[in-house]
Amino acid sequence: MSHKKRPGQRALMAGLIIIGILFTVFFGMRAVHAFRKFNGHRPLPSGNVETDVELIRDWMTISFISKTYYVPEKIIFDALDILPLSNHDKSLKVLNKEYYPEKSGYVLSLVKKTILTNQPPLKPNPPLTPTATPPVAP
Amino acid sequence: MSTFLLTQVINFGAPLVGLILLLGALGLPIGASVVLIAAGAFSQQGILSWPSTALIGLLGALIGDTLSFGMGYYAKDSVQRRFGKSAAWRRARASFQERAGLAVFLTRWLITALAIPTNLIAGGSGYKYSQFIAYDVAGEILWIGLYGGLGYLFGSQWELVYDFMSNFGGLILGLVLFGFGLKQAWNWKKKTRSQLI
Repeated sequence: MSHKKRPGQRALMAGLIIIGILFTVFFGMRAVHAFRKFNGHRPLPSGNVETDVELIRDWMTISFISKTYYVPEKIIFDALDILPLSNHDKSLKVLNKEYYPEKSGYVLSLVKKTILTNQPPLKPNPPLTPTATPPVAP
Repeated sequence: MSTFLLTQVINFGAPLVGLILLLGALGLPIGASVVLIAAGAFSQQGILSWPSTALIGLLGALIGDTLSFGMGYYAKDSVQRRFGKSAAWRRARASFQERAGLAVFLTRWLITALAIPTNLIAGGSGYKYSQFIAYDVAGEILWIGLYGGLGYLFGSQWELVYDFMSNFGGLILGLVLFGFGLKQAWNWKKKTRSQLI
């Protein structure tokens, strides 16, 4: 009985080991690559406004982008020449398809440009150590 | 699919997160992990409220796990009829019962790809529901806290977290399969050697 099972069992064990090695190597390399990306990116300090427009994706809605980048919705809708009514919950991809079907990626790039030109100026970071007051000239 | 769901999470908030985690726990490949990390980021950005999202998400995941445990439970009789007389099945069942708690806990947050089979086997092997749900709650809290927390920490850069976590999950699965295969090979070799002696 056990002799009959041996070839099947052996194939199962070999299969598990081979698949295990393949998964480990493939995902291990990808995980290391993904981890390296963290070096260049740090979480935004709490309370700071996002400024990197390259993080805008076509699944985002105008109201979401407006809240994240602190640019009023009206400015973005005006730039796109789209009425805000009934378009609040639509993604940039859907808006592109509905309003500019002949221009692929147009809405996304225009939103990025609008955010860059309309974002409120950043507050300067306070100095870490108090600066010395220059001596007053006599 | 995931990007469509992300848009809808922005629009519908925590209830949709709960529904997605429920469907994910039932085995639907709808990207529950990506939605969870994104929900953490959306909470940091002020789009979602993190306490209610975490609570509703946990509830959804627990209901989904309970349903898939139930599927295994109700399939128990037919599985028993089909494999009940097999010694290998009885050994596998006993072996699962020994480590079921750890298996349930680890498959919630570390080896998530094996969560559904674990739920089905737990239900089908007669594992107590009260014990299952205790380990399930602990594992799901850790999963939501870890994935959602990383999303919250990294905010709008959450895609980096997802990229790493999904590959890390694959790496752990690979190590588990490799380790399991090696263990089986070792046991088989030991058994063959003892039979020869």
